[in-house]
Amino acid sequence: MVEAKIQVNDLNAWYGDFHVLKSLNFEILPNTVTAIMGPSGCGKTTFIRILNRLCDMVPEFHHTGEILIDGQDVFGADIDVYELRKGIGFVFQKPNPFPMSIYDNVAYGPKTHGMKDINEIVQRSLEQSALWDEVGHRLDEPALKLSGGQQQRLCLARALAVNPGIILMDEPVAFLDPISAQKIEELIMTLKRDYTIVLVTHNVQQALRVSDSAAFLYLGELIEYGRTSLIAETPKDPRTEAFLTGRFG
Amino acid sequence: MGTSKSITRELRSWFRLPKSRREFLDRLTFVFLAVIAVIITLPFFAIVFEVVANGWILLNPAFILTNMVGFAEGGIRNAIVGSIELVAIASMVAIPLCVGAAIYTTEYAQRGRRRARRWVQELNKWVIRIVEFTADVLAGVPSIIFGAFGLIFFVAVFGRSLIAGALTLALMMIPTILRTTQESLRAVPLSLREASLALGATTWSTSWRVVLRAALAGIITGILLAIGRVIGETAPLLFTTGFNFDAPWGFLDAIASLPFTIYLYALQGHTEIIRLRAYSTAIVLIGIVFVVDVIAVWASKKVGLVVRAGGV
Repeated sequence: MVEAKIQVNDLNAWYGDFHVLKSLNFEILPNTVTAIMGPSGCGKTTFIRILNRLCDMVPEFHHTGEILIDGQDVFGADIDVYELRKGIGFVFQKPNPFPMSIYDNVAYGPKTHGMKDINEIVQRSLEQSALWDEVGHRLDEPALKLSGGQQQRLCLARALAVNPGIILMDEPVAFLDPISAQKIEELIMTLKRDYTIVLVTHNVQQALRVSDSAAFLYLGELIEYGRTSLIAETPKDPRTEAFLTGRFG
Repeated sequence: MGTSKSITRELRSWFRLPKSRREFLDRLTFVFLAVIAVIITLPFFAIVFEVVANGWILLNPAFILTNMVGFAEGGIRNAIVGSIELVAIASMVAIPLCVGAAIYTTEYAQRGRRRARRWVQELNKWVIRIVEFTADVLAGVPSIIFGAFGLIFFVAVFGRSLIAGALTLALMMIPTILRTTQESLRAVPLSLREASLALGATTWSTSWRVVLRAALAGIITGILLAIGRVIGETAPLLFTTGFNFDAPWGFLDAIASLPFTIYLYALQGHTEIIRLRAYSTAIVLIGIVFVVDVIAVWASKKVGLVVRAGGV
């Protein structure tokens, strides 16, 4: 029996009075791609922002229940939030490279954590995100000069540079053209050998293509969770089926 | 071709008689407002003309590069260097304070720290309000009041000196630098902060290495605007700097400055030469302010570029 990388136990979350996530219970295995699906406003993004505690940015946020990563509660009193976030890469919906050079973007995280051999880390991360061949010879150019798809892969490289065990992706291809999107999807499938990936998406086809397991959230409730292929073939809940077949979303 | 045709048509439509009373009134308003718009540019040209027409005669390299010998002879190097010293030291005092306060108000106090207790959050809100309110009031305080304040507080400690004048100017720079820095920091997209925090960076590292960097052009613009403003101020220096025919770097030495020099010349401008020297000094001062403002405008255009390019 493989131990869960991420274990969610009776998680409830609120923004002020608004109940965003309702009694979630599920676990995510290591080295898998898990797709979190659901229509807009169902709490997908909130869920992954809890995993790395970005939810702390919102003063009205509060929660009950627990999320264990490698057996440790992310809200635990003794948790070091900076170490927690170091272990969890995050790729945002819109590419958001820092307004500095390509090199500095990737080196930012390692420098922050006082890591050694920055040059090698930068090269390795850019290779992992399939960007090295395109930018390896012009690392000192501003990152904002890259195309949208390249920027997003740079953001991925930036996240990989601090050696996270988990990568969270919040609709990473929503703003990209189909070819760039395809590259990201290919990367996701390669990266799962070394990382546990949680992918938020409302694109059903994408979830089917890249994920091992899938969770369907609807209005903050976990409607269905399991192997992606199983859910796709025989959804148990009519709402899941409706979503998968594109009747809403 | 199409353009010239449409220009002809436009002109023709202007020189034909109005078809109705309403059209006539509309055209009259147009002309009236256009004249007003031209009128408000007149003071600028009048001042520049007056100053340059009178002062150019004395303006030569020696006037800029040599110190005064008495009031009527030599150049004004002591005043130019003095002004630069005053503004440089004032900036060195005001910039770190204002940037620090701006980072506190926009990066630390406002962004929720969920774990912070409610009374801490409330306290932070109040500190922000007080900081912004006092800065805004400070912006409206007449400069002579700053001078009087400098006399009472700084001159009492340091005597009439470079440091007393510079500290007084630093106070005057606070509102401009603080407010523009705040605006620039707030214009930095939240997503950049999140990207940094998500990598496990602290708020300090995020503010210092990401947000401040993205906002740099805007902050520099604010600093230049503040410099352009205080470099021409006379009242704050009136009681605080004394006067000096040289431009020493000693903090406790008395120091000359361009506006103060113009003031002294104007005060005793009974002779033709003193009158001309006042005008020449004014050209130098206007020239410096002009250059600073041009750089500020250029920098602020760059801000637009940065914000748009980083506008994620």
